Amino acid sequence: MSWVGNRLSGFQSWQVTLAAALLVLGFLIAAQLSAERPRVRYTSQERAPLIETVLGLQGQQDALKARILELREQIGDAEAQLPASAAQEKALNADLERARIAAGLIQLTGTGLVFRLEDADASVGDGGADGLVTARDVRIIVQELWLAGAEAVSINNERIATSTAILDIGNSILVNSAYLAPSYDIRAIGPPGLYDRVTGAESFVEFVRDRVSPSGLRLSFADLEAVTVPAYAGSVGVRYLRPVARTGGS
Amino acid sequence: MSLDRKRASITAVTLILGILVVAQLRSQGVNTGLASQSAQDLTLLVANLNTENEAIRGEVAALERQLATLSDTRSRGQSAAGQLRQDLDKIEAWAGLRAVDGPGVSIRVNGAIDGEGVEDLVNELRNAGAEAIAIDGVRLVPGSVVTGASGALFVEQTPLGISFEIRAIGSPQILTGSLTRTGGIIAQLSVSFPEATVSVTPLDALAIPVTERDIVPVHGQPSL
Repeated sequence: MSWVGNRLSGFQSWQVTLAAALLVLGFLIAAQLSAERPRVRYTSQERAPLIETVLGLQGQQDALKARILELREQIGDAEAQLPASAAQEKALNADLERARIAAGLIQLTGTGLVFRLEDADASVGDGGADGLVTARDVRIIVQELWLAGAEAVSINNERIATSTAILDIGNSILVNSAYLAPSYDIRAIGPPGLYDRVTGAESFVEFVRDRVSPSGLRLSFADLEAVTVPAYAGSVGVRYLRPVARTGGS
Repeated sequence: MSLDRKRASITAVTLILGILVVAQLRSQGVNTGLASQSAQDLTLLVANLNTENEAIRGEVAALERQLATLSDTRSRGQSAAGQLRQDLDKIEAWAGLRAVDGPGVSIRVNGAIDGEGVEDLVNELRNAGAEAIAIDGVRLVPGSVVTGASGALFVEQTPLGISFEIRAIGSPQILTGSLTRTGGIIAQLSVSFPEATVSVTPLDALAIPVTERDIVPVHGQPSL
């Protein structure tokens, strides 16, 4: 014992403190790993590869959509540079630009606002599924924006287009078949006063009163002079639909 | 122990701690949302992403062909009116700026249902691949919302009666199957709105009109 005492007295106080801290750290890591082991094994065997696949596919989709936007821009430039001596071709080019803007195929910037919708804090509400943002919550805000006069809307980086579905899959929300992670930023371009129009609507007040407040969802906003809504980057290809010729056969 | 060795020890410990903390934060950040999904939901996500990516690859290929043809036309100095019109037809039809026809489904809704219920139905049609949708002759485009309580529904300022028709162009089989499957949207609506009935009829041909709404934005300008 006197040997141990002599050895300990040979250490300086900072060394003892550091050793104690490392001991505690090691204990905590071991305890954490031990507690997590069953879930880690389950995750690694069943879900981890699926999560990696989802993230990989979403990465591919992002790259493909970026390529679509690049190609559409190049096509627009190429069409504008075609020999357009004929009045008919000039008019067609103008119609195309207008149609692309109307269809949501071109990024826009203008006056508007951004709503941010987030899950409830775990300590608020009953801590259950009601505190998670659902596709319907997002859809209701989008609808309220349309009803208030919004002209272009996006959710995170996905533009709402004519074919856009907003879906729940488990706890995830898919927009244009893209997986969106919370939080959800809903951007809208519209007339000045859009925020007042939205928040003054009875249906929006009901949504906040009956859904947002009781469940603890976090809804915030920014009323901005310049909001950018990205272009729709999905497919506009159709298999079943045929355009009907205009009257006059143009 | 020299001062340098003390510093080295403390530096090593804080470095390890830093790496551990960052690794933990990154693992939590990457899997936000996904980590809490069941294997079944993740499989659905994978299937959904695969299907969409395939469609987007087709779009990329079509756009590359279109660009190549345009470059060829330009190099030959030929008229591009035909190509421009073709592109215009495609975009206008998709966006709701042109009347369209094709196969699809007719959905007859009878009885008490509110605007949210109809929006759920329309959302499911879009998810099932509907390429154009109209309610009682009103083409749905971004900005169209079905509002109101049961029996007092409106779409684009147009009142809907207690019975109305939703038309959708797309694969009749896929649209019908998606709506009527066990646990699907019609089954869900029958629980939420027991007094309403929803029937689906596949059709080989149906027509959907152009939108009456002006969908060209005036408060937003194209930006890079």
